[in-house]
Amino acid sequence: MLSRIADSLYWMSRYLERAGNTARLVEINLIHLLEAEDALPEAAQWRPLLSISGSEEAYKKRYDGGEVTARRTIQFMTRERQNANSIRSSLRLARENARVVRDRISNEMWEAINDMWLRIDRLLEGSAPAERSPAIYAEVLNGVARFHGISVSTMMRGEAYGFYLLGTCVERADMTARILDVKYHLLLPDLSMVGSPLDYYQWAALLKSLSGFEAYRRHYHAGLRPVDIAEFVIFEGNFPRSVRFSVEHMRHALQEIGTDGAERTGAAMVALEAHLHETSADTVLSVGLHEYLEAFLTKVAAFNGAVSREYFEHYLGEER
Amino acid sequence: MLPSLGETSGADRMPYHEFYLDDFEPRDHYRPLWEHIRKTGQSALGSKVHEAHLALRSEGVTFTVYSEEQEGIERVWPFDLIPRIIPANEWVPIEAGLKQRVRALNLFLKDIYHQQQCIKDGVLPAELVFKGKHFLREIMDIDPPQGIYTHISGIDLVRDGPGRYLVLEDNLRTPSGVSYMIENRIVERHILPEFFARYRVRRVEHYPALLLEALRHLSPRGKDHAEVVLLTPGIYNSAYFEHTFLAKEMGIELVEGRDLVVKNDVVYMKTTHGLRRVDVLYRRVDDAFLDPLTFRPDSALGVAGIINAWRAGSVALVNAPGNGIADDKAIYPFVPDIIRYYLSERPILENVPTYLMTRPDEQALVLDNMERMVVKEVSESGGYGMLMGPSSTPALRAEFVTRIKANPRNYIAQPVVPLSRHVCYLDGELESRHIDLRPFVIYGEDIQVVPGGLTRVALTKGSLVVNSSQGGGSKDTWVLAE
Repeated sequence: MLSRIADSLYWMSRYLERAGNTARLVEINLIHLLEAEDALPEAAQWRPLLSISGSEEAYKKRYDGGEVTARRTIQFMTRERQNANSIRSSLRLARENARVVRDRISNEMWEAINDMWLRIDRLLEGSAPAERSPAIYAEVLNGVARFHGISVSTMMRGEAYGFYLLGTCVERADMTARILDVKYHLLLPDLSMVGSPLDYYQWAALLKSLSGFEAYRRHYHAGLRPVDIAEFVIFEGNFPRSVRFSVEHMRHALQEIGTDGAERTGAAMVALEAHLHETSADTVLSVGLHEYLEAFLTKVAAFNGAVSREYFEHYLGEER
Repeated sequence: MLPSLGETSGADRMPYHEFYLDDFEPRDHYRPLWEHIRKTGQSALGSKVHEAHLALRSEGVTFTVYSEEQEGIERVWPFDLIPRIIPANEWVPIEAGLKQRVRALNLFLKDIYHQQQCIKDGVLPAELVFKGKHFLREIMDIDPPQGIYTHISGIDLVRDGPGRYLVLEDNLRTPSGVSYMIENRIVERHILPEFFARYRVRRVEHYPALLLEALRHLSPRGKDHAEVVLLTPGIYNSAYFEHTFLAKEMGIELVEGRDLVVKNDVVYMKTTHGLRRVDVLYRRVDDAFLDPLTFRPDSALGVAGIINAWRAGSVALVNAPGNGIADDKAIYPFVPDIIRYYLSERPILENVPTYLMTRPDEQALVLDNMERMVVKEVSESGGYGMLMGPSSTPALRAEFVTRIKANPRNYIAQPVVPLSRHVCYLDGELESRHIDLRPFVIYGEDIQVVPGGLTRVALTKGSLVVNSSQGGGSKDTWVLAE
């Protein structure tokens, strides 16, 4: 397929996944903070969200080095046009990319993403209260879920589907690793605290922001232990939002796409799989979770770069 | 010899009403529809209007109006739900006339870009051709595949006072509107199936299939190895919806200039698995922007070297570059002669009476009667660069007089043809508005016409300007089966 189209399919999916993940993050944080027994200062409650998306610099620029407040952060992550990673920006870009590939996706897929964008843009156009209400995040999550449901059931399997799947999984793997990294270290500032009495609600919130709380509970009967949570989020192959699951589906996506001549992509894929292979949460935690996740994120970035180089950027007559 | 203005009767100046026979009665073919509307009541139509708007918006059936802001204004396609109905017997001569006209214009183009025999035989003045803005010297002596230039034509028709169909204008470059023709049918069927129940309406949705067949017919590698693509200027083009629509309906790749590259006079697409050869390019990019090596060097929309590839015969371009000379408004008055010259047949469809400003007696006649004329600049399209005599100011008319005298070759004039009127459902009321018709003609292995076409409506009360970029709307068009 056309390189330009593949590029847009990939990014449509990434932006959509980003919007959904961000919506879930903000929503869970909002709900979680409704009953704040721990008297954490506002900045401490909301800064992690900025860290996860790497938006701290952008936030500082937007608010002139000012303090982190709930209202501002929510606004910044939900509707801020100047924030390329806000829900609104992500949805807008997803829809712009979808428009480029309109002839590649089914009519229903286009209608789903277009309707969602129009509805949410209008909701966000209203005054501030919109983003304080969980309803808007539910809208986003429903819209994204609906889009995926329609895609999986109407999109022809093949190369286009491959890029759609690839974008979704790359973003998901990336986001999941970031969320775990930031929140885990928020909750466990000191490794010596592993295994100590912990804040049930904070851990539950982490799992909920990955849509994994109920699945986790059914899978692990020993309560919320950090090592189990790390194991679940990174290595549990049957949990659809785990890092392992995402990486496995990146492999499937590449199979749909075809990797003839795409050597760098192939190597980057192998590197990601190796990162997860033959290791476990125990090992990772003793070596250093942050280092492990950071290394993973670097490999994801390398993978993204390889895909761009070998599938999207086309050099005249050059063999791959 | 053109009739002088004095011969135009009062009846000729009254617009033909397509729907109503007189104040009380509809025309026969509208009677079933009219009875149905009366029975269900006008207010019931109100919710249908809303339904139609939702359907169109959600489908993304839009067009973009050029504006000064960064983001072009995307408007939902304005659709009127009262269909325009053409009885079978009315359609027969229209179809025959369209085919005849396109056949003749194609022969004209072939001649103009080769021996130019029609000029040598005095059919039309040489200077009109050679001074034509759209006559492209670069096209001379190129042999397009199958000898076809006018693969896709949109011939605009209007009806005069007595109801005769006349050709208002030929569009042989990148005529648009066929996607709206089809979407109008889809929406009409969706919201008012009960209308259809009372008629036998001929289908239109096979247009993309017909077109694809015609395109594949042109492939230099033969029909069975035809890689057909549609070249679009991109998402900011006002007709982008149509580009995506057609590419999707035909199942072909939608490309932009930057997706293509010419190597050794062969055109290729840049794909995720390397370069893939292109055989037929349906291009919706204007001639001037098509090839920076041959035409405008500043164009980012085209493909460097594509004309060389076309000249070498390795790719088919649809429509052929250079067609603009045949739909040039200065050539338009000669088309009936062109039909006679190439086909030795009487034109089945006639032109709207037209005066050339290069002819002194005609210029004098027009300058004396500016308030009854439509004056058109030969090189503009989309309804701009035009004087509507009856609704203009003395100052504007004086300005056009100056322009005409300064550059007579650039202007033609026509007595105002009162476009026919039809009934529209606007703001809860049934009101009359002016309409025209753009049927689409495909020239492939043979010449085919899809029954009907796009009926455009001048939504502003009293206006005769139907172009969507200036606030026009449209109707579903029904040609009845016998």
